[in-house]
Amino acid sequence: MAQPRVTPKAQEAVDEDDQEDKAPDTKLYEELGELARFIDTTMKTLSEFSAPVNASTQQLPQAQSHLLNLKAQTEQGTHRVMLEVEAIQDNHAQISKMLKDMAQTLQQAKASPALIQQMAALGQMLGQDDKRLLDIMTALSFQDLVAQSVNKLVTILDEVEHKLLQLVVVFGPYQKQTAKPDQSKASQMLKQLEATKNTSMDQDLADEILKQFGFN
Amino acid sequence: MPADPNMKILVVDDMSTMRRIVKNILKQLGFNNLEEAENGQEALTKLKADTYGFVVSDWNMPVMMGIDMLRAIRADEKLKKIPVLMVTAEAQKENLMEAVQAGVSNYVVKPFTAETMQDKINKIFK
Repeated sequence: MAQPRVTPKAQEAVDEDDQEDKAPDTKLYEELGELARFIDTTMKTLSEFSAPVNASTQQLPQAQSHLLNLKAQTEQGTHRVMLEVEAIQDNHAQISKMLKDMAQTLQQAKASPALIQQMAALGQMLGQDDKRLLDIMTALSFQDLVAQSVNKLVTILDEVEHKLLQLVVVFGPYQKQTAKPDQSKASQMLKQLEATKNTSMDQDLADEILKQFGFN
Repeated sequence: MPADPNMKILVVDDMSTMRRIVKNILKQLGFNNLEEAENGQEALTKLKADTYGFVVSDWNMPVMMGIDMLRAIRADEKLKKIPVLMVTAEAQKENLMEAVQAGVSNYVVKPFTAETMQDKINKIFK
């Protein structure tokens, strides 16, 4: 069977095509080699990080404990102040009653009007102080807001600790993973903390919205 | 109809400091018949066991949230007319809408003043 005749020029063209076909493979192998070296270096670097990450992970429960302690201390301190405020309020209530009784007695005894006026002025001052005491009492509600933020931070730390432990154990970061939206509890808590900074509203705005629903 | 100073009021909050603050304010406003509960579930048990004229409740609580307690109150034939004032730091618009839809009587944003509390009580019982 007769072989097809190939001219020298045509043979040259075929050889060039072969070279062009091989070139991308070589480039790919080179790139894969580079990638393998990069992965190896990354793994070594991650190994170096293992100890500090492990140490940080061990410190997280301590941080949680400090935060819970902070919450407990603010709670104790707040109750201590409240106890004192309530004691003063009780005293004021008694003094106020005594002043009224005394003023009545002085009036019945036809005492000097100036003296009766002084008694009334004392009663007014007492009333102003009662208002201040009530302001102190309501100002202490900061503790509730602190406690809520601490609770959220503790949850976040708990989740971070869990994730760091996973990282230490399985070196997960260089495993190819499909990106999923983070629906973790910590993420939600972070969003809530952010939300309280950005979208919280004051009483005026709340009232404005309530008005739209027919609240007056 | 103005608020009856002798009516039994239930203060619902998981934080003891907040229960104490709200009770103190209510006492200064002339209300002396004050009870407390730590969560919505405990509140519902108390509400079903006795006669209350008013509920002041937090939003965020363990076991049962304030909003769920509010829905349960409005769904209960015996309790549905009790005025409920929500006192909460959850002052985001969607929460307020949710509370309104659930039948809240009024809403106070933390931190609040005694004047705000009095104003809201006056509006509820006018």
